[in-house]
Parts: sequence; structure tokens; C-alpha cells
Amino acid sequence: MSTDTTPGAPPASPDARPSWWRGRSELLVAALVLAIAAFLAVQTATMPVPPGTESPGPRFFPALVTIFMFGTGLALVVEVVRKPARPAANTGAPAGTAPADPPAGAEAAAEAGLAAAAGDDRTGERLDWRTIGIVLASLVAFALLLQPAGWIISAALLFFGVSYAMGNRRYVFDAAVSLVFSSFIQLAFVAGLGLNLPAGILGGIL
Amino acid sequence: MDALDHLMTGFGHALTPENLLWALLGVVLGTAVGVLPGLGSSMAVALLLPVTFQLDPTGAFIMFAGVYYGGLFGDSTAAILMNTPGQSSAIATTFEGHKMALRGRAPQALATSAIGAFVGAILSTALVAFFSPWIIALALRFGPAEYFALAVFAFIATSAVVSHSLVRGLVALGIGLTISLVGIDTLSGAERFTLGVPQLFEGFSIITVTVALLAVGEVLHVAGRVHTDNAPASPPRRTGTPWLKGADLRRTVPAWLRGTVFGVPFGVIPSGGSEIPTFLAYGAERKLAARRARKGGRPDEFGEGAIEGVAAPEAAGSATAGTAMGALLGLGLPTSATAAIMLAAFQQYGMQPGPLLFERNGDLVWALLASLFIGSVMLLILNLPFAPLWAKLLLIPKPYLYAGITVFSSLGVYAASSSITDLWLMLLLALAGLMMRRYDIPLAPVLIAVILGPVAEAELRRALQVGQGDVTVLVDSGITVGIYALLLVIGAVVAIGRVRSRRAAKAAERATAVTG
Repeated sequence: MSTDTTPGAPPASPDARPSWWRGRSELLVAALVLAIAAFLAVQTATMPVPPGTESPGPRFFPALVTIFMFGTGLALVVEVVRKPARPAANTGAPAGTAPADPPAGAEAAAEAGLAAAAGDDRTGERLDWRTIGIVLASLVAFALLLQPAGWIISAALLFFGVSYAMGNRRYVFDAAVSLVFSSFIQLAFVAGLGLNLPAGILGGIL
Repeated sequence: MDALDHLMTGFGHALTPENLLWALLGVVLGTAVGVLPGLGSSMAVALLLPVTFQLDPTGAFIMFAGVYYGGLFGDSTAAILMNTPGQSSAIATTFEGHKMALRGRAPQALATSAIGAFVGAILSTALVAFFSPWIIALALRFGPAEYFALAVFAFIATSAVVSHSLVRGLVALGIGLTISLVGIDTLSGAERFTLGVPQLFEGFSIITVTVALLAVGEVLHVAGRVHTDNAPASPPRRTGTPWLKGADLRRTVPAWLRGTVFGVPFGVIPSGGSEIPTFLAYGAERKLAARRARKGGRPDEFGEGAIEGVAAPEAAGSATAGTAMGALLGLGLPTSATAAIMLAAFQQYGMQPGPLLFERNGDLVWALLASLFIGSVMLLILNLPFAPLWAKLLLIPKPYLYAGITVFSSLGVYAASSSITDLWLMLLLALAGLMMRRYDIPLAPVLIAVILGPVAEAELRRALQVGQGDVTVLVDSGITVGIYALLLVIGAVVAIGRVRSRRAAKAAERATAVTG
């Protein structure tokens, strides 16, 4: 785990009382859920209903979902306040329903989102936003460049960006792999399967 | 013997070179994503979704089913050899499987798991094929109220069972329902939650949602931890011939069958996958072994690599796949994330799974069921002798793997409707997917809500219109009452099981604290 502190926050002395927000950052999620519920409520209330619509109209189901979202959002607030996530240091809790050692990959699998492993093993996991930022920037660049620059160039950049973010540093070799990969997809999917990909500035040459 | 005739015709369709090729492609791909940790069959199917619209539906579904089955075969390879389960369905196999590998019995463990997966898949598929006339007869009596009950059942069961926190499961359900509301209401033509953006009139594309949440969200989550995680992958252990001796077989055959019994019902219950039956099967074998040891029989090998502990969970896991296909085809009920995406694929082809599918697209359904048998045999052949080869996949450098997934995701989302807007939506939903992974909010309920949400709404409004606003029409028939009652029973069983497993975990913790 990284030990750096958030910029702006005072350096935490070992016996400093942890902030109340520690392990409760999930309240942001709850706030988001409540915000979505509020958005649904406003939009449902102001929704223009076409004349002559039969009784349970287009606003009926959204109203149910709105109530549901408000309810679950509030329930999440209660749960997070009562049971904050534990700091990542003590991750000794058994993850599985079976009383055996948590295997190394169990966490990864559990976090694939579909895990049923019982037992509350939430931890205050810290994400590396720099790496995520590079991946996101690559995706944004891809979306911006796809039409003007074409598939081969923008997809190669995306591939290069993600592999750079994940720690590859052999620039020339990676650039070559990226170009080969994007060209291969262009060949296989445009020529082979007939998908429509923008040719971009290479359009004249290809 | 009606079903047998149909099945034979199905084999006729499935055994064409083209469909055999799709099946082979599917099972190879499925095994590959099964072996690789972090990738699952749901992600593979999501990435294939846009590409397959260039294919005819039969070939596409044969390939999807191959991926689904293949994922359940491949997930145990890395679990046994390297203690890293490829999917969460292999966690239970890891416990004893890796211990066997450490004792030099890796080939036997791999063979046990491959044959176990085969037994589970074949038996459950056979059950579905022969009981399909009954499933259809039942489904034909479904009206709007019954379909609404089924959707509610899927919603609640998935969100309650999948997550360890009921609240987080329900939050996921709400997010999915919200996504499904966006767009023009099909019944009245009212514009809903589009903010006037024309690209949203048709709602979120299911491809964008699944690819963004399952694939791009996973890439972002891995990116957020790749430099802090220090889990060096040890090279796969050398393995010999997968030869099960008579003594092994006497122990594994009953375990395979018991595992299948655990798996079959869970394919029909929307529990988001096959983790629960694998854990139940593992627990049962453990208890049986302890009882045998007490009675003076074979000593309890659990904890040191008991072969039953590999056989039963594997059979249970793949047995869910067969009945999940049955529930999907016969009732239109998706019981796992992968099945939910396949349901979306049926809708994209303009078909609605359910009893009518067997009538209108009988050729496709029976060819698909037949290809499930063929696929299982292919998987047995692919996995029994070649498991160590598959483990070599783990040597692919992570950066290239995730870069490739990102490019494929962008390709699929863009190519589905040649729209840059979809790429921006993908980015937005991928961030949501990252947030959900970070806070342990399960993804399966979102997918099931997005896909079944419109169905639930339409059926609910139709039922209420028929009943002229009388709410009691929703619980007016035996079938609806039965579905809601079953939901209550499952809820109770899950609640009890959760309390008991928590207690058992605590007891085990105390025990290890004392002995170790």
C-alpha cells in the first residue's frame, strides 16, 4: 500500500484520530444514488404525457423506480454510517462461505462483481488514479481522434496508452505491437466481417 | 419421445461444418477467458455481441453457449495449478485442487475437474432437453402478471443472493432499472429522461452497457491496482498424464453426481452465476468426509487435497450452465450475467426467448441444445490432455492483455451503430463500473435489470390495464403466487445460510488461531 497522504491533508501522526470520513467514502455513492433519484423525480413530474394514453401511463413505472432509488440510497447511507469499511491493512477476514484460507485470487474474482462470497470483506481499497487517468485519457483521445484520424492510428494510440499505463516501457516495441494489432483488426473486421470503421487520413492510401 | 426426435434433428443442424466451427471457436475462447483471472465468460460474450451481428443467429448462439460452457471448464485450470481461480465459480475448487497440485497430484486434479465439468454439463443439458416440453407447457400458461412475477423474481433473487450486502445488490438493481428507463416509452411514445438528446431516444444500447460495465470497467479497476498489487505469478507446475486410478474413480464418481445435484436447481434460480452451488457442493463433501472418518472409514483428507473437493464443485458449477440455458430458452429468464447478455442478443435478433421460441425458432433452439452436447465433448477433449498448455495463457503480459481488451471494447461499442456518442456513454458507464467494483456493488443485477426492466414494465402495465387498475390481478393465479412464495423461501434459505456460514467462518477463525 502506498503511504503518501492526500495533498492538502495535514500529515497524520500515528496516534491522530482517523477522520470520520475514513472508510465512509461510499457515502459519495449513496449521494449519487439519491441524486439520480432526485433527477428521476423531477423528470417524471415534468414529463409530457401524450394525450389519450391508457391508465398506467409512461410515468407509472419511473415513479416506482424513483421511490425504490430513494429507499435504497437512504438504506446505503445508514449501512455505511453504521459499518464503515475497514482500513486495507487488516484484510484477514475469510472471504469465502467455506471455512478455508482465502486463496490469493479470490479477491480478484470477488471483485469481478459477480461474487457470492459471503462475509463482509470490504476494505478501504485505495485506487491508483494516475494509472486510471492515463487509461481514461487514452479512451478520450480515441473517441476524439477516431473520425478525423481513422481506426488504425487511433486504435494503435489507445493500445499504446493502455499498455503504457499498465507499466510497459519498451516504447518502440510497444508502438510496433500497437500498430500491428490495430491493423490486424482493421483487416479482420473490415475485410473479413464487413464492419464499418472510419479510414481517416489513411483512407486514401489503403 | 418427442424431445428425442427434435434433438436428433437438432444434431443434424449442429453437425454442419460451419456450426461445428462456431462451437469450436466458442469453446476455445470460453476456455481461454476461463483460464485467465479477471476475465469471465460474461465479458467474452459482451465483447462478442457486436461482432456476431454479422453472423446468422444459430451460429452466433452456438458460439455464445460454447463460451459460457468453456468458461466453466477453463476456470479451474489456473485455480489448481497456481491457486488463482479464473472466475469466482472456481474459488471452491481452489481449496482442495491447489493442495492436490502441491502434493504432486496436479494431473489427477485437472482430470477430475475436467471430467466433473463434463458430467455436470452433460447431465444438466440432458435434463433440459428432455424436460423442455414440460417447461414449455408451463410457460404457455404465462400471462402478463406471470411474466411480471418472473421478472420481479429475477430482480430480487439476483440482488439478494449475489452480493454479500442486500442493500448494495438493491442499489445495483436500481441503477440498472434507471438505465433501462431512458428512451422513448414503447407503449405511449412519451420521451423519458433523454434530456432532449436525440441519440438517447432509443435508450442506452445494451452493447454499450455490457461492454462498458464488464470490460472497460474491469480494465479501469485493474489499472487502479496494477502498480500496488504485488502478486507474482508463479510458473505453472509441470504435469504428467491425467490418469485416474480405480480408487480415485470410486471416490470421484459419486462426488460428481452429488455436485450435479447441487448445480441443477441453481441454474434456474437467478443467483448471478454458479458460485453458490459450488460452495454448497464443497461444504457437503467436506461434511461427508468428516462423517466417514468418524465412522472409521477413509481418513478425512480435506485440507490436504481431497479429490472429492475438486470433483463436486466442478460438476456443480457446470451443471448450472445447462439448466441456466433451459431457463433462458424456455422461460426467457436469465439466471446469470452471461445468460442475461444472451437474452439481450436474442432480443437484438428480434426473438423473445420463452415458449414461443420453441415454436417459431425450433430449428435454432434444438440445434443450440444439440451443440451444447457437442461443445461439452469438445471441451472435455480440449481440457483433459491440454490443461498445462492452457495454463501457458497466464504468461501473456498483463499490459497487452488489457490493452487488447480496451481496443476490442471500443471496437465493439463503436461498430454496433457507428456512433461516437456511444463511445462517450461507454466512458461514463465504465466509470460507473469502476465505482461499483471499488465499493463492492455487484454488476449482475444491473445487467439483469437493464435487460428485463423494459419487459417488467410492459408486462406490469399490461396486467394492470387488463385488471383495470386492480392491483390484485398481480397475485391472481396459482403460478404468480407460487413464484412469489418461492422467492420468499429462497430469501429465507439465503438468510439462514448466511448466518450459519458467518458463524462457521468465525468458528474456523478461532480454530486456526488455536492450532496455528
